[in-house]
Amino acid sequence: MEIHRCISCGANLVGTNYVNFPCPACGEMVYRCKRCRKMGIHYVCENCGFEGP
Amino acid sequence: MARESDAMMREPEEGYEYLVAPDEYLAAGVHIGTQVKTGDMTRFIYKVRPDGLYVLDIRVLDERLKIAGKFLARFEPLKVLVVSARQYGQKPARMFSKATGADYVVGRFIPGTLTNPVLRDYREPDVILVTDPAIDAQAVQEATDVGIPVVALCDSNNSIANVDLVIPTNNKGRKALALVYWLLAKEVLKNRGFTEFHYTVEDFEADL
Repeated sequence: MEIHRCISCGANLVGTNYVNFPCPACGEMVYRCKRCRKMGIHYVCENCGFEGP
Repeated sequence: MARESDAMMREPEEGYEYLVAPDEYLAAGVHIGTQVKTGDMTRFIYKVRPDGLYVLDIRVLDERLKIAGKFLARFEPLKVLVVSARQYGQKPARMFSKATGADYVVGRFIPGTLTNPVLRDYREPDVILVTDPAIDAQAVQEATDVGIPVVALCDSNNSIANVDLVIPTNNKGRKALALVYWLLAKEVLKNRGFTEFHYTVEDFEADL
């Protein structure tokens, strides 16, 4: 099973404590952990450089 | 307004095309924030007016509307859920749904709508669009629980906790909400390959 990492903090993502969605700009899959979402921590798409949220 | 519009506009950018003329944005008041600023929203704020109101950057709003349109167009129309508990956001949300084929919940968001399959109003969207993350907090929380992305219209006083894509705009004004939802609907349809858009901004405006 492929283990994904949070795009902001690099934490391993297991279970349901994360969200994944296509990058709003380029469509590459973005994974964010629950903590980074709650704290509103910025993410940068590794593919296109889009800065969110 | 002329004095204000001069002050709100940056130097003309080379080659950047706005979705509508910047004057239309200013006339609808999408740039008017509140007198409260959160740390999360600092990067979307252009300046503070002498009366203490924070002014949002319309260039960033325009860019975000294009990106959000592209983002929402990636999902099946019925899998997009628009939520608005705010009175002035209800008609724009309904019209957005009508134009793009999305699902909507306006008024009270019944707890369990996204998490309790026993409820009659239960639904399973792939993405939600909220008008105000503070007022629609129940929807944001349930989307977080089920693990779906959240797109939110955020004003200068909003927190971006659990939000995955921020659209920095005035989310309190009648005309501002109508213009933002209208542009978003137009962008979504454009990204789905539809060239015609029959609605006007007035169609999206809530009654007084």
